[in-house]
Amino acid sequence: MELQEKLKILSDAAKYDVSCSSSGSNRKNTPGGLGSASEAGICHSWTEDGRCVSLLKILFSNECVYDCVYCHNKRSNAIPRATFTPREVVELTLNFYKRNYIEGLFLSSGVVNNPDHTMEQLLEVVKRLREEKFNGYIHLKGIPGADPKLIHAAGNYVDRMSINIELPSEKSLLSLAPQKKKESILLPMASIKEEISVYKAEKKISRFTPSFLPAGQTTQMIIGASPESDLNILNLSEGLYNRFSMKRVYYSAYIPANDNSLLPSIQTKPPLLREHRLYQGDWLLRFYGFTAKELLNPANPNFDLDLDPKCFWAIENLQHFPVEINKASYEELLRIPGVGVRSAWKIIKARRVGSLDYQDLKKIGVVLKRAKYFITCKGKYYGGISLYPENIRKQLIQKPKDHQRQLSIFDLYSESILRKEAPSKVMGEL
Amino acid sequence: MLILTYDGTFEGLLTVVYECYYQKLQPQDIQVEGEKEKDFVSRYVFIDTEDEKADKVYRSIEEKISSQALKNCYYAFLSDDETRSISLYHYIRLGFKQGKAIDSFLTQEAVANLHGIMQKVVRERHRMLGLTRFVELEDGSLYGKIQPKYNILSLIAPHFAERLGSERWMIHDEGRNLLVIGTEGKWLLRDYTMKEALKVHKREAFFQSLWKEFHQSIAIKDRKNLKLQGQLMPKRYWHNLTEMQGSPPRDGEK
Ligand code: SF4
Repeated sequence: MELQEKLKILSDAAKYDVSCSSSGSNRKNTPGGLGSASEAGICHSWTEDGRCVSLLKILFSNECVYDCVYCHNKRSNAIPRATFTPREVVELTLNFYKRNYIEGLFLSSGVVNNPDHTMEQLLEVVKRLREEKFNGYIHLKGIPGADPKLIHAAGNYVDRMSINIELPSEKSLLSLAPQKKKESILLPMASIKEEISVYKAEKKISRFTPSFLPAGQTTQMIIGASPESDLNILNLSEGLYNRFSMKRVYYSAYIPANDNSLLPSIQTKPPLLREHRLYQGDWLLRFYGFTAKELLNPANPNFDLDLDPKCFWAIENLQHFPVEINKASYEELLRIPGVGVRSAWKIIKARRVGSLDYQDLKKIGVVLKRAKYFITCKGKYYGGISLYPENIRKQLIQKPKDHQRQLSIFDLYSESILRKEAPSKVMGEL
Repeated sequence: MLILTYDGTFEGLLTVVYECYYQKLQPQDIQVEGEKEKDFVSRYVFIDTEDEKADKVYRSIEEKISSQALKNCYYAFLSDDETRSISLYHYIRLGFKQGKAIDSFLTQEAVANLHGIMQKVVRERHRMLGLTRFVELEDGSLYGKIQPKYNILSLIAPHFAERLGSERWMIHDEGRNLLVIGTEGKWLLRDYTMKEALKVHKREAFFQSLWKEFHQSIAIKDRKNLKLQGQLMPKRYWHNLTEMQGSPPRDGEK
């Protein structure tokens, strides 16, 4: 089969993997080598769906001996199949990289023959790339069920590894991905975490310690293929962040691939807005000091599709407001709707050299449209309505048009841009 | 109304700042000579660039304000914003008064203006790290053409110098007739106008078509959002992007 045909099949098959981020590593070039990693990550292009292209994201093979119900590549589907050779992947990566098409490689695979065999092939690719002195970014998928030794060996060559959790509960995993065991996903995650901390400790003693996954591990789960609530999902994510030091959990709105009574009907639209709310909630966990319990509870197990999670929380917790901008701590500022990480930080900075007027807030990037109901500035309240949940809710509900525009702006944005060079519009959003 | 003009170099602008201090001038505006049409009512004075004076200002910004402030100034200078020169002047004035706390005065106009101009340059620099495309030439060297809004060529060069190692590479800012050539971690900026068409390596077309193939296949059709694509990757960059030139026909499309 021609290389172009293979590439077509194997990039098409990889497209549902959300992660394309190239951040978190600052691998340096070596003498005679090609490439380096940028801590913040770099986007190289954007596709027609508005997603950033940072890595050459491909499957090594879309052959699979498993039959996960939700998956397009499952064994029982009659689709064109292809498998790269390690050499082909190496050539593609080097040549794309040289032309500055990409930051590096994201390599995943269906299960060819068995997990060990597949993992060996992936290991072969990344090993060869580094032997060719390639110093660009590599994100490798760990194959559930593969020998931990192989997963570890690969960890020495790559920047980031991910093992997808796929479904948000053991029950769903059992019914939709019966060949994958919960343990075959969680055990390698735990051992990767162990290995990373060993590496970090050794690194403190000798800086010549060979690197091990400098950009850590991530995972992904499918939203809307199974019945879990947002509360279930966010609880799970919180656990993954705390217990496995995950760098990121990705959420992927389920796009019907197969007709099966266990799945939502094939006509179902992918729940993009819900996915977006989950990213916002996830963001609040990681950067805004919220816990899953604060954001959702059994009485309110799902996010409000009309309101972003922070507004939703603020309206339910009006006893904390209004907050005086000139006195509030960084943590308190972060909880105000319309104040993002960047603007909270700017408020703190500007306060060191003088107190802030209401007019100043706009210059700093606070979204007053939302913030004004929750703050006072030098003791004065500018919201213009009394602090009742219903009043404020009415003001904050986004018009349907807004949904359209906001949707995916930041879940599909590479995390890199969000972190460092974000237009304040994106950061100031929550 | 006094308007000072200079030759358009960073040194020139720093010399202007120097003269303002030592001759106690209070310019209404600072412009690059010839960039804007002159009006009748203003008095125009051209300031000659003097490296020594520029150097003094350069060093006192670094010592008395901060190296961050110096970087801010340089980035803002590379913008095409018409107010960049005068904004830089006001920022430096306030900087000499407030010292290294200057960048905390976020609500002061002088600071907010300069940060605004600088941020745009920072953003385009970052964007061009990704949006520069190289073509492999017959002799194996890499050639990239860019047309950025701001003069960011010297800001992206170090990145490619580190990354491309022993490759021989060039980046050409076509609009400004500037070229960076680099290899082995070193790079050089010079004036350049292209005279004859470059000879492209014979395997170039192969990798270009693979890249276009990839760019198409990786998109999710059910999430098509061309507006978002255009927001994140503005159209003005497209004509230098390999993947945006005549895409291969897709199944099920005409
Ligand atoms: S193992 Fe992966 S590729 Fe194979 S069917 Fe399951 S999800 Fe699809």
